[in-house]
This record gives sequence, C-alpha cells and structure tokens, in this order.
Amino acid sequence: MLTSSPFLAGCAGIQSALDPAGVEADAVAALFWVMVAGAAVIWLAVMGVLYYATRRDRVVHSETFAGRVILWAGAILPTLILTALLAYGLSMMPRLRPWDARAAEDAPLRIEVVGEQFWWRVTYHRDGMEPVVSANEIRMPVGERVTFTLRSADVIHAFWIPSLGGKMDMIPGRENTLTLEATKAGIYRGPCAEFCGSSHALMALAAVVMETGAFDEWLARQAEPSPGVGENEAGRAAFLANGCGACHAVAGTEANGTIGPDLSHLGSRVTLGAGIVENSKAGIGRFIAETDHVKPGVRMPAYRALPDEEIDAIAGWLKGLE
Amino acid sequence: MIRVNWKHLAIGLAILPFAAVFVAWIGFFNVGASTGHWKITEWFLHFAMRSAVRTYSLAVDAPETLPREGVQAAAGHYARGCAVCHGAPGERRSAAVREMLPQPPDLQEVLAGDKWNDAELFRIVKHGVRFTGMPAWPTQNRDDEVWAMVAFLRNLPGMDAGTYRDLAYGHDRRPDPTGFHDDFDAALADCARCHGEDGMGRGEAVPILSGQRVDYLFAALEAYAADTRASGVMQLAASETDPRLYRRLAEHYAEMPRTGTDRDDADAALAARGREIARRGIPERDVPACVTCHDRPDRNPVFPSLDGQKRYYLEEQLRLFAEDKRGGTPFRELMAKVAKGLEEADIEALAAYFSGRSDTRR
Ligand code: HEC
Ligand code: HEC
Ligand code: HEC
Ligand code: HEC
Ligand SMILES: [Cu+2]
Repeated sequence: MLTSSPFLAGCAGIQSALDPAGVEADAVAALFWVMVAGAAVIWLAVMGVLYYATRRDRVVHSETFAGRVILWAGAILPTLILTALLAYGLSMMPRLRPWDARAAEDAPLRIEVVGEQFWWRVTYHRDGMEPVVSANEIRMPVGERVTFTLRSADVIHAFWIPSLGGKMDMIPGRENTLTLEATKAGIYRGPCAEFCGSSHALMALAAVVMETGAFDEWLARQAEPSPGVGENEAGRAAFLANGCGACHAVAGTEANGTIGPDLSHLGSRVTLGAGIVENSKAGIGRFIAETDHVKPGVRMPAYRALPDEEIDAIAGWLKGLE
Repeated sequence: MIRVNWKHLAIGLAILPFAAVFVAWIGFFNVGASTGHWKITEWFLHFAMRSAVRTYSLAVDAPETLPREGVQAAAGHYARGCAVCHGAPGERRSAAVREMLPQPPDLQEVLAGDKWNDAELFRIVKHGVRFTGMPAWPTQNRDDEVWAMVAFLRNLPGMDAGTYRDLAYGHDRRPDPTGFHDDFDAALADCARCHGEDGMGRGEAVPILSGQRVDYLFAALEAYAADTRASGVMQLAASETDPRLYRRLAEHYAEMPRTGTDRDDADAALAARGREIARRGIPERDVPACVTCHDRPDRNPVFPSLDGQKRYYLEEQLRLFAEDKRGGTPFRELMAKVAKGLEEADIEALAAYFSGRSDTRR
C-alpha cells in the first residue's frame, strides 16, 4: 500500500470514494480495501502456484493429489472466500438503503431530490418547517443522519456523492430511499451516474456539509425571500418582462414557474447550471444568452436575442439573490 | 457469326462520355425555344412528368375534404405568384409568357377535367416541375398553405371574374399585385388584399394585425423576409415590399382598433380548459403558463398579443410551433420550447380560449 500511495493521490478531493467524509462512504471505502486486500492475497497465491507449476525441476504428483488440489483450491476455497465477502457486503445494505419507506417519512431531515434532464429539483423537509424548495445543490448538517427520497421526472438518472456514500438510481415512477450521514464538513460533488441524454456529462450537484447550527440558520434563510429581491430594480423588471417567471420561481416576486430550477437564492449557490458554470455575474449572463451552447439539449431556451444590457441587469439581480 | 470484341466495346464505352461532352461543346444542339420540341420529345417529356407526379404523389396523404379556411389567402397569393403564368378568371396570361417552352397552361382550362387528383396537384404545387419554369412553393416547411392552394385551384374552373376579384383583391380598385412595392400606399393596398382595409384579416388563415404590438409586427415582417419564418404567402409578400416600409406598415396596423372577438359560446367547456392551461400551464409536460409571456402589459415588446386572434390561425401556428416548423423572430426559440409539450386537444382548447378573449390587456 505504501508503494502505491503516490498513484492514489488523485483519489483525494471533492468527488472520491477513497477519501470518505461520511459514515456510508467509510463503509464503502472499508469494503473496497478489504476486497483489494483479499484480491491481493488470492493473486499472490495464484502466482505462487503458477511458479511452482512451471519450475524447471518439476515433481510429479499422483492423480489423487491433483484431484484434491483442484477440489480444495479450485472449488471449496473460492466458494468460502466469495461467500464471506458477499455476506460482509450484504450486511452493509440495511444501513445504506432502508427498506422501510415509512421510516423515511418521519426522518427529522428528509431531502427529496428529483432528477430532470439535466438538473436536480431539491426539496427540504425539516421537522416543524414548511418544505423549502431549491435546486442543483444539497446542503446537510454534519453528524446527522439524513434521508434522501430519490425520484425522476423523465428518464433514469443516478444520485451519487462518492465522498458521502453509495450510488442509487432515480427511476421514473418509483421512489428510492437512501440515507447518509456526513462526518466531515466541506463541499463535495455528485455527478449524475446514469446516462440520461445529450448533457448527461454536464449534470452534477454540489453537496455542502455544514455544522448543524449553520445549517439550520441557512435553511431558515432559504425559507424566506432573499433580501436581494428588492435591489437592482431594472434586473427584476427585465426578468419578469421576458417571461423567465414562466419557468422559474423567485420568492418575493410574482415569478412562480415550476418547470425550471427555483432561483430564489441562486446567488449563494456553489455552482451554476447543475455544477458546470462558475456562479458569477458573467457566468449567469453566459448561461442565459448561450444556454444551448453551454448545455446541449437543455430545456431552457437561449435568450440570445436579448440586448447585452438586459442580460447584464438580469444576471446582476440574480447574483444578488443570496 | 458476329463475335463481340470485349476490349473494343470497353474502349468505346470509355470514350463515350468524352464524345458527348465534345458534341455539347461544339454547340450544334439547339436550345432555342422558338422552334419548339420535336413531337417525340414533347410526348416523352409530358409522359415522364405525368408518371413522376403520379408516382411521387403516392406518398402524399390527402385530407378527406380540402380545408376551406385558407382559400382567400391562396387566391391572394395566386394573383401575385401564379396568375402571370397561368392566367385567372378575367385575366389572360401575358403574351410574353405564352412564348415559354413548355407554355404554362391556362389552369381554368386544364383543371376543368379530372387530369390530376388532389394529391397530384399538391405534389405539383409544393415541389414545382423541373426544366419547365413551374416554381416550387416558397417554403417546404409547411403543407397547410399548399392544401389551401389546392382547394382554391379546385374552385378555379367554374369561377367568374367577379368572384375571383373579390377573393384575390377584396375591393373593386384593382391594386397591382405584382412587382416590388417601394411606395407606402401601393404596399398598403397590396397588404389589404389579404389583411383587409381594417387589418382584421380576410379569411380564417389570415391573422388580425390591427391592435397587435408594433415591435412584433415589425419583427415578423423581417423574419419572413429573412426566411426565418415559414409562410410561402407572406415570404413572397414581404420580400416584394421595400424593407424600409416595414416600420411604417407595422405602425399603421398597430394603431388600428381590434374590433370584436371570435367568441363561440358553444365551446365554453373547451375554452375553459384552454383558460386553465393558459394560467397554470401543464407542468408535467413542461408547458409553462402562457399568460406570463403573453399578458403582462410591461412584457418584452416583441411578445405578441393573442387576445381575439383568429381561432384557426392560432391553432395552425401552435401546430407549427409544436412541430418546430414555425420559425419567427429572434425570440422564436422561446415559443418553440413552450409548444413542444402541447397535444392536439390542448391546442384546440387554447385557440378556443384566446380567440374568445376580448382585447383588454394588450
Ligand atoms: C421554458 C422554460 C424556461 C424559461 C422561459 C427560462 N428558463 Fe431558465 N431554466 C429552465 C430550465 C429547464 C433550467 C435547467 C437547465 C439545466 O440545467 O438543465 C433553467 C436554468 C436556469 C438557470 C440556472 C439555474 C441553476 O440552478 O443553476 C438560470 C440562472 C436561469 N435558468 C435563468 C433564466 C432567466 C434569467 C430566464 C429569462 C430570461 C429564464 N431562465 C427563462 C427553464 C426556463
Ligand atoms: C414562371 C411561370 C410559372 C409560375 C409563376 C407558375 N407556374 Fe405553374 N406551371 C408553369 C409551367 C411552365 C407549367 C407546365 C409544366 C409542364 O408542362 O410540365 C406549369 C404547370 C402547373 C400545373 C400543372 C398543370 C398541368 O395540367 O400541367 C399546376 C397545377 C400549376 N402549374 C400551378 C401553379 C400555381 C398554383 C402557381 C402559383 C403558386 C404556379 N403554377 C406558378 C409555369 C408557372
Ligand atoms: C396574399 C395574402 C397576403 C398578403 C398580400 C399579405 N399578407 Fe400578411 N399574412 C398573410 C397570411 C396568410 C399570414 C399568416 C402567415 C403565417 O401563417 O405565418 C400573414 C401574416 C402576416 C403577419 C404576421 C402576423 C402575426 O400575428 O404573426 C404580418 C406582420 C403581416 N402578415 C403583414 C403583412 C403586410 C405588412 C403586408 C403587405 C406588405 C402583408 N402582410 C401582405 C397573408 C397576406
Ligand atoms: C417564455 C415566453 C412564452 C410563453 C410562456 C408562451 N409564449 Fe407564445 N410566444 C412567445 C414569443 C416570444 C412569441 C413570438 C414568436 C415569434 O414569432 O418569434 C410567441 C408567439 C406565440 C403565438 C403566435 C402568435 C402570432 O400572432 O403568430 C401563439 C399562438 C402563442 N405564442 C401561443 C402561446 C400559448 C398558447 C402559450 C401557452 C401554452 C404560450 N404562447 C406561452 C413567448 C411565449
Ligand atoms: Cu445523467
């Protein structure tokens, strides 16, 4: 392991199953290392036998002896090892994916994530609060078990934050449940892990793990309109005049569309456009004017025809929605 | 016994194309139209044309009954785009055209018999006829206009001059429908043949322009001329009008009052469903609420008003949008995305609703 560590340096970071930051990811990583160790032992044994069999001064063994070797080393031993590994792997299942969906309903924090071509609709259900709608980013408190209900609005997507846990498909017409508990605060990344169309590779989400107090403060702010709504009057007017509100909701304005992501607090998201564009005023402007270039096959029309000043004004206003 | 010498045959075949080019290059072959075709050539060309039309028309799906809604616009288009060559009731083909080879037939005469069925006529009008001067329809993107023309052609044989004049010109003054208009009054008189003196549109396929937003009308004219919006009828009308007149024409119509609505109380239930979609959209099919873009008084000036617009016209536009064939102004992509999720029943409901709405919130 020591000799291979330089090669593993690339496996650290915001999207790595080998640099776990959650209970489930720890388990997955442990499983991985156990498998690797087991595989290494078996590999060495096979190589040893190979060496033995191809030596120059070979010893001739009896047929009975050869038969026994095949029986034990070729059938019984692999069965035992594989059974043990399978039992170990399966024993982790109940924790990673609860079978009892009703328990999920009562979880103190449940995050509903719906995969859509090519973004994520996110709704927080926190005990004692009205549901809070957001998109393309999930935030969760460190050290608390969070339940995810996963659905799809169109085709199969898959939800996977390697640093926090295992992968789970989002299947149209089904609701899958996954629970995760983060152990380290930080920002992680989750790519869509099931091919879902032309911009599948451009569909990711940011997972922000926060201290519990900070998380609850953040969620409370999300439940209210952003103070930025009242600023930048020209930007807001242009947003409403150009029909953005047909597809997008912004709390505190009359925009209440539900076809695209909720933009109420767009300015404070880590990334833009489901993890593909830097969330800056320029990035927002580019996303609005060249949507189809930034993201081929996207369900939002490009507003190429809008004059630059209007794009700028809208982008400025949206960036201010923190 | 003659023995085929394969080697000589192969050499002969190899030389043949060069010989053909050489003969053409010398220029003995007479391309002049004055002497006409040889009888055998003429027979062969007609035979080939008829056979091709018959075969290709097999793929055409003709409607049970031809649509009547666009007949008036088709007549208006005929006056500009076809009558020069084919003549019209009360109007002879020009003498110059009669020297063409082949000579464009007088359609009142040839269509009197049952020479062509509807699908064959459609095929000829949509695609034209190669090597004859018979042009294709200006856009290949939509078929409704071509069917309307077929419906008009079916009426042509028995039509008297007065009926034709009323259909194609709409008034006794006979504006010159041909040629390029660079004079405002002449251009306006031409528009009025189809859009009416009052801008309310003659016939169901011609939209109401009066009271429409000026920036939208202007952008629509530019779109037709730039070939980004598909309509054989309007692309011809727009490209034969001086672009410098577009703004004034748009202003002229925008200022006119929109009178009455297309309300049909028999369809109250349909209109109610249309109203529901217009206000809430169909989120599960990614259709947003129409009113967010089409209702706000402070909206982008290029977003058109739909209130009281002709029902048939609205339906046809929505079908074109849904099939991604409508095109339009630089903002057309917005509407195309919106219409993707609309089904036929939604389109009928929406058209019933918007056509019945009075024009209050332009
Ligand atoms: C027809 C519906 C529709 C309209 C109209 C529309 N959008 Fe969008 N918008 C979407 C969809 C769908 C997405 C998600 C795209 C994706 O990432 O796949 C989106 C994404 C966005 C995003 C990125 C959001 C995020 O979470 O990163 C921004 C910003 C945005 N739109 C701004 C606008 C603005 C500004 C307008 C008006 C000028 C507008 N949109 C009009 C449907 C629409
Ligand atoms: C530039 C002259 C020209 C114009 C303009 C023209 N046509 Fe023709 N058209 C012809 C010629 C020439 C033929 C004969 C083709 C042939 O004999 O194969 C023809 C043939 C036809 C025929 C088949 C008649 C027959 O029985 O052979 C129809 C129908 C027709 N045109 C309709 C139209 C319509 C509708 C328009 C206007 C949209 C139009 N044409 C515009 C020249 C023209
Ligand atoms: C031969 C008939 C005809 C003539 C002449 C004509 N139009 Fe049209 N016009 C139509 C038809 C039919 C449509 C609908 C086309 C479509 O489906 O896109 C239309 C559509 C339009 C539209 C788009 C309206 C909308 O709501 O999108 C404008 C603007 C317009 N015409 C202006 C004019 C002007 C200006 C003139 C004169 C220069 C003119 N038209 C001449 C038949 C005509
Ligand atoms: C995101 C904004 C937006 C929404 C939402 C929207 N439209 Fe449109 N619509 C447009 C724009 C922009 C045009 C102009 C298209 C062009 O010609 O470039 C248009 C044009 C139209 C036209 C053609 C009008 C004419 O005169 O030719 C019809 C009909 C129409 N829309 C109906 C609807 C219906 C029905 C809905 C709801 C299902 C709807 N629109 C929702 C933006 C929108
Ligand atoms: Cu995907």
